[in-house]
Amino acid sequence: MITEQSRNSKNILGLFLKGEVITTVAILVVLTYFLVSRGLPMVLTIIIDFAVFAIVTMSLNLETGFTGIPQFGRVLAVIAGAFAVGAIPGRIMAASMGLPWGLKYAKDSIHYQISPELTQVLANSWVFSLLFLIFCVTIAAASGAGIGWLTSRPAIRLKEAYLGISLLAFGDFFMWVGHNWEPLVGGSTAVYVPDPFRIFGGGRFQAVVIVIFLVAMLVYAYLNRLTSSPFGRSLKMIRDNEVSAAAAGKDITRIRTQSLVIGSMLAGVAGGLYVIYTGTVTAMGYSRLVWTFWPWAFMMLGGIGSTTGVLLGVMVLTIMRTMITVYRFQLFGFLMAWGINPLWLEYTLMGAVIIGVILFLPHGLVPEKVQPMLPAGRVKKLFSGGMAAKPR
Amino acid sequence: MAPWLATGLIYASALALTAGGITLLYMSTRTFNFAHASMATLGFYVVYSGAVLGGGVPYKYFPLAFLVGGVLGVICYYGLNRPLLRRGAVEITLMMSTLGYDLILLSVIQMYCDYLTFSRKLFPRRVSMNVFDFELFGVNAASVILPLVAIVFLTGLHLFLVKTKFGVAMRATIENPVLAGASGINSDRVYMSAWIIGGGMAALGGAAMSMAVTGTPVLGMNSIPFMFAGAILGGLHSLYGGILGGFVVGLTEYAGVFYLSQKFGPWVLGYRMGVPLLLMAATLLIFPRGLAGIPWAVLFGNLAGIAGKKRGAKA
Amino acid sequence: MLTINKLNAGYGKLQVLYDLSIEVPEKGITVVVGPNGAGKTTLLCSIMGIANVTSGEILFEGGSLQNLPTHLLAKKGISYVPQMKNVFADLSVRDNLQMAGYLLPFDEAKKKAEQMTEMFPVLKKFIDRKAVTLSGGERRMLAVAMGLMKNPKLMLLDELSTDLAPIIAEKVIMEVARLRDELGITILLVEQMAKRALEIGDTAYLLVSGGVKFAGKSLELLNEPELCNMYLGIKQPAAAQTLTEGGA
Repeated sequence: MITEQSRNSKNILGLFLKGEVITTVAILVVLTYFLVSRGLPMVLTIIIDFAVFAIVTMSLNLETGFTGIPQFGRVLAVIAGAFAVGAIPGRIMAASMGLPWGLKYAKDSIHYQISPELTQVLANSWVFSLLFLIFCVTIAAASGAGIGWLTSRPAIRLKEAYLGISLLAFGDFFMWVGHNWEPLVGGSTAVYVPDPFRIFGGGRFQAVVIVIFLVAMLVYAYLNRLTSSPFGRSLKMIRDNEVSAAAAGKDITRIRTQSLVIGSMLAGVAGGLYVIYTGTVTAMGYSRLVWTFWPWAFMMLGGIGSTTGVLLGVMVLTIMRTMITVYRFQLFGFLMAWGINPLWLEYTLMGAVIIGVILFLPHGLVPEKVQPMLPAGRVKKLFSGGMAAKPR
Repeated sequence: MAPWLATGLIYASALALTAGGITLLYMSTRTFNFAHASMATLGFYVVYSGAVLGGGVPYKYFPLAFLVGGVLGVICYYGLNRPLLRRGAVEITLMMSTLGYDLILLSVIQMYCDYLTFSRKLFPRRVSMNVFDFELFGVNAASVILPLVAIVFLTGLHLFLVKTKFGVAMRATIENPVLAGASGINSDRVYMSAWIIGGGMAALGGAAMSMAVTGTPVLGMNSIPFMFAGAILGGLHSLYGGILGGFVVGLTEYAGVFYLSQKFGPWVLGYRMGVPLLLMAATLLIFPRGLAGIPWAVLFGNLAGIAGKKRGAKA
Repeated sequence: MLTINKLNAGYGKLQVLYDLSIEVPEKGITVVVGPNGAGKTTLLCSIMGIANVTSGEILFEGGSLQNLPTHLLAKKGISYVPQMKNVFADLSVRDNLQMAGYLLPFDEAKKKAEQMTEMFPVLKKFIDRKAVTLSGGERRMLAVAMGLMKNPKLMLLDELSTDLAPIIAEKVIMEVARLRDELGITILLVEQMAKRALEIGDTAYLLVSGGVKFAGKSLELLNEPELCNMYLGIKQPAAAQTLTEGGA
């Protein structure tokens, strides 16, 4: 009994020292410092980067951390959402206003003339803006889910590395399609998206940040509910032991497909929101490095299989990346002597974080909590009450 | 020789080398090496720097590129791979660790390019290595020399693995580490050698590839899906399969795109990437474990014993 | 020669052996028998440094074997013939023998390989064939030959008779007796075919659920009808057994 108690107290202490608490405190301190020394826009930039990548990383965590699918093609669903928002809503508006909307819509000479007109319409009507935003998110979610369903087809058949590599390759392929097929999103030139936030005028940036942050929090709440539901337990069961999950009557194919569809849908939403935030789509911006590998780094730092951990991981790394950008001349100015741009240190940082986490912090900042299927009290009751059959 | 075939051969040889390296590393250490990308790019920059700063034909710097790749491999093995293997890490962890290493190497490459631009007044971010080439039998020397380099190197590797005691020991360790250890073979040394050879092949392949396509700091980063596609096509369980897979992917990419662009117009060139991917997808959809997943033993009934043996339990 | 004291070992979190103590005397066959899952193979794996040893000591000729990488054990004169995967399937018989004699100088390895092919003529016949094409019995012969290549002082043999037809299995086990008698090698034999093994063995250990249930002369174990019946599936005492065999 004594050992049991002492272990418990140690756990609580450990939680305070290591886990989410200390990281959160550190994050808040740094953010406050930024707010005081650099002003609000800086903090807002951090928050929007955080929110977008938080959604992507949480979706990755659902598929990889909870279901055990090596999702090396996260960029695929992000691209689906981004391209959909870049290509479809603007076209529909243009068509209804009698402007050119077909294959020529994305051609730069025409596009630069019509996109301000479209934005102007939205800037005059709250209703239109809201409807447009909702439509964008819906369409991003739908195309993300669609691509998720498509990738689930091979995902059922292929194992581990083979699946990861195939997904990675197809993510790249989609980027190149966007880059080369001009009618989609303008190829190598950018396509502007009508801006539903223009109606806020000078407060646009703040409004975008708040909306996207709220969406991220909604996704967080949703995923927390989802993963602690019986469905979440099924996911973990499949991840840990496919055979025993199948033996327990789980339909592995269906559950994996659902996980991929939900995850890809969320990633699609993130891609769509990011496009609305930046106002443009450039195919080459959706690289494997930024939209697949960085979310992986965030997830590994935060703790694979822990949604809260992922949020912290994204925040910590976003702050660190911003710090490199902000303090690059103060801290790494010596590199300039050789003409080296200190921004490359961002890559070094990401690489070092991945390696450091793998070697020294294999479970991340917030290790996944192993939850018993039944609450401990109930298990005790079951056993103390004898093995007499009790209905569950 | 038609230009597309000449370039295609260079490109295919380069992919054969890199895909072979990936397969070798996967077979020996279960590691899908993402760092192959930057190792290849660094191989290219070694040759480029040599040609620009040291002068002479680029080919004389190829051995140096191999050496640099080998050193990078050894660093990766001792710094990352070995501790993780000892810990019994799973495949995905091993894979991610090399991704971290790759990102660090990528930043080093970018910084080196900055340095070359600033201090040496060079333009290392878009390099056409052809300007350093000379003519041989009426074609670019590269299209004769590089396939030869690949063939000689791969033959040498084959002889090493079949004829030398240490080469056979490498094969033995890859097949059965426990028994090899009990026979007195130091698996540590075998894995280190695999990383030297694999890293060297990556660098050599990257150097060769830059003779066919524009050399950029993301040369390896952009072509790693093809390297992987080659390795997967080869089935990941035989070095020769990987080499062949890389060659097939490289050649179909060039020949296939050439053929299609003749037929449908030059816009096809933009979708170059699709050809090998379709090839890989088709293979994987029919045989989810690559060419090695084909039940050869069943197809050739007389070897039926293998199947039973391979499934043997650990007891 | 080999002393194991209070060994606790297993794989990962799973503990298989509990406070196991075994003594392998020099120049003799020590037979380890027991039902499935008793930890016989784990015992050999612990000696070879493949399983996780949590506590206890393993002494070979007075020196500890713990924390030595597997390849150094071969140097000390211990050779191990695993139950499964005991040959390099993808290598030729010749290369298999060469690999088994990895630590020997070139000439000596060659000479030794010739000795082996004389000792097991089958191997000579198939010297250039891949090991995977050999039959089960031939492969087992090759495995034993590979074990002998190292001039071992101690051989660990794991379930030589698995997968073999009874007649061949018996032949292989008799071969083990010959190794002791002619070459004077100390042998630790783990066997399913308990009766035969105990008949040729000198010392015997009966392992049950990770602990020693019986230790003594191997013939004594054969004369314990209760133990034999319960754990080894040997129904009658040794004397009665001969009758049935005659009948069959």
